[in-house]
Amino acid sequence: MKYSYYPGCSLHTTAKEFDISTQIVMQELGIELQELEDWSCCGGSVAAGVSHDVGMALAARNVALAQKQNLDLLASCSGCYNKSARAVKALENETEKERITAILSEMGISVSDYNIRVRNVVDVLANDIDISAKIKRPLKGLKVACYYGCLLTKPADITGWDSPVFPMSMDKLSKICGAEVVDFRSKTKCCGGPILVPKQDVVFDLTKQLLDEAVSLGADCIVLACPLCATNLELRQPDIEKKYNVSYKLPILYITEIIGLALGIKPGKLGINKHIVSPKPVLDKLGI
Amino acid sequence: MAAKKCFFGMKVDRQVDGDKMNPNFLKKVISEGGDGAAIAACMQCGTCSGGCTNIDRMDLSPRKLILMVQRGDWETVLKSESLWLCTSCYTCTSRCPRGVRPSDVIEAVKAIAIREGIQNDSTRFNQIFVELVQKRGILFEPELMQKYGGMEAMLEQAKLGIQLALKGKMSPFPAKVKDPKKFNEVLEKASQK
Repeated sequence: MKYSYYPGCSLHTTAKEFDISTQIVMQELGIELQELEDWSCCGGSVAAGVSHDVGMALAARNVALAQKQNLDLLASCSGCYNKSARAVKALENETEKERITAILSEMGISVSDYNIRVRNVVDVLANDIDISAKIKRPLKGLKVACYYGCLLTKPADITGWDSPVFPMSMDKLSKICGAEVVDFRSKTKCCGGPILVPKQDVVFDLTKQLLDEAVSLGADCIVLACPLCATNLELRQPDIEKKYNVSYKLPILYITEIIGLALGIKPGKLGINKHIVSPKPVLDKLGI
Repeated sequence: MAAKKCFFGMKVDRQVDGDKMNPNFLKKVISEGGDGAAIAACMQCGTCSGGCTNIDRMDLSPRKLILMVQRGDWETVLKSESLWLCTSCYTCTSRCPRGVRPSDVIEAVKAIAIREGIQNDSTRFNQIFVELVQKRGILFEPELMQKYGGMEAMLEQAKLGIQLALKGKMSPFPAKVKDPKKFNEVLEKASQK
């Protein structure tokens, strides 16, 4: 299996450990990744709300580049995944396709009729391969809360591989890895994502509710697959602690890091040392 | 007072009121890119509002917002704070039993609002975000913070910035696509349409 790998802006900066762990886990599982050449930002949830055409062109550009490589596009970031999958769907609509093609052709990029599929790393790990045979270090005793957020599974006509209401793919993966999964009722509640900067108070409030529930369930960490959720839950965790005068120190790990640990990969090789909220309690509990 | 027109017994705020209908705004929203949003199919059930992340902070619920778009009450819609409280979480779109895509409608209305000159922190942030994405093709976050929040934001974020830099998660040099000039020119032109 080979994919065109689209890291996106975050995986080269604030979510570096997601990039590192995705690559090494995929390599370990025999899935080949070829980085998408000359990729650009997908526009996130913001661009199309400034100009529809710019937003769609940004998202479709990466799809068109993957078409050129003749490979399905694999994204780790939920946002990049969602926007790219949305572009694939837009390209099936005549009017939208015309608008998008006109812009991309000016950039010298042609859109082919052969439409590729856009996949997310969680989808591939949960539905395409059986990782159970490769587990070398079961995560015994570790309690995790799997957080899906929004863009990974919603809306279902763009994503479709897991329930938008009660997704289970990461729960199942964590269980296969030997971890205990808590019944995290907020698993699809929004963290506030793209409005963090202009509406900080609102987002802190939304994110705090997630942290509160995870802590009350006794989770050792939150497991997720979205760098924007991680920005709110991890990078801004100290700010939230300060604002509400509470203490969480709750490690936030990417699903690929958890799987990597269970596959027996050394934490350093997974980029686990790059977290801002220390994941040491998790490693201690596992005796790594 | 003349009897109010009622449509299938709907209450006043849900009423399809022929006198107030101004289809131009609806057309504008659809041409912005909302043609897949199926606004006309809305039956005002309120499922969208029921699942909305920020409903308790909004002045106009997603259900009402869709109705106002249908009725052409563009002033109420464009001035609504709800546009900027929407987190694009797609819960409404995911749950709508009629295939309406409230998140896509809100997205289209946001773009119209910006063009109509609505100004607030959110419009400013969103515009700077797109400007910077267009500039290099890949977002450079320190520049976004500096342009949006100035020196104050930079100082506020300095501690986190240093931590990220020490972990090798923030480069002082921005990444870019192969031909940023062309990239920017084409998208700039597309945004003017």
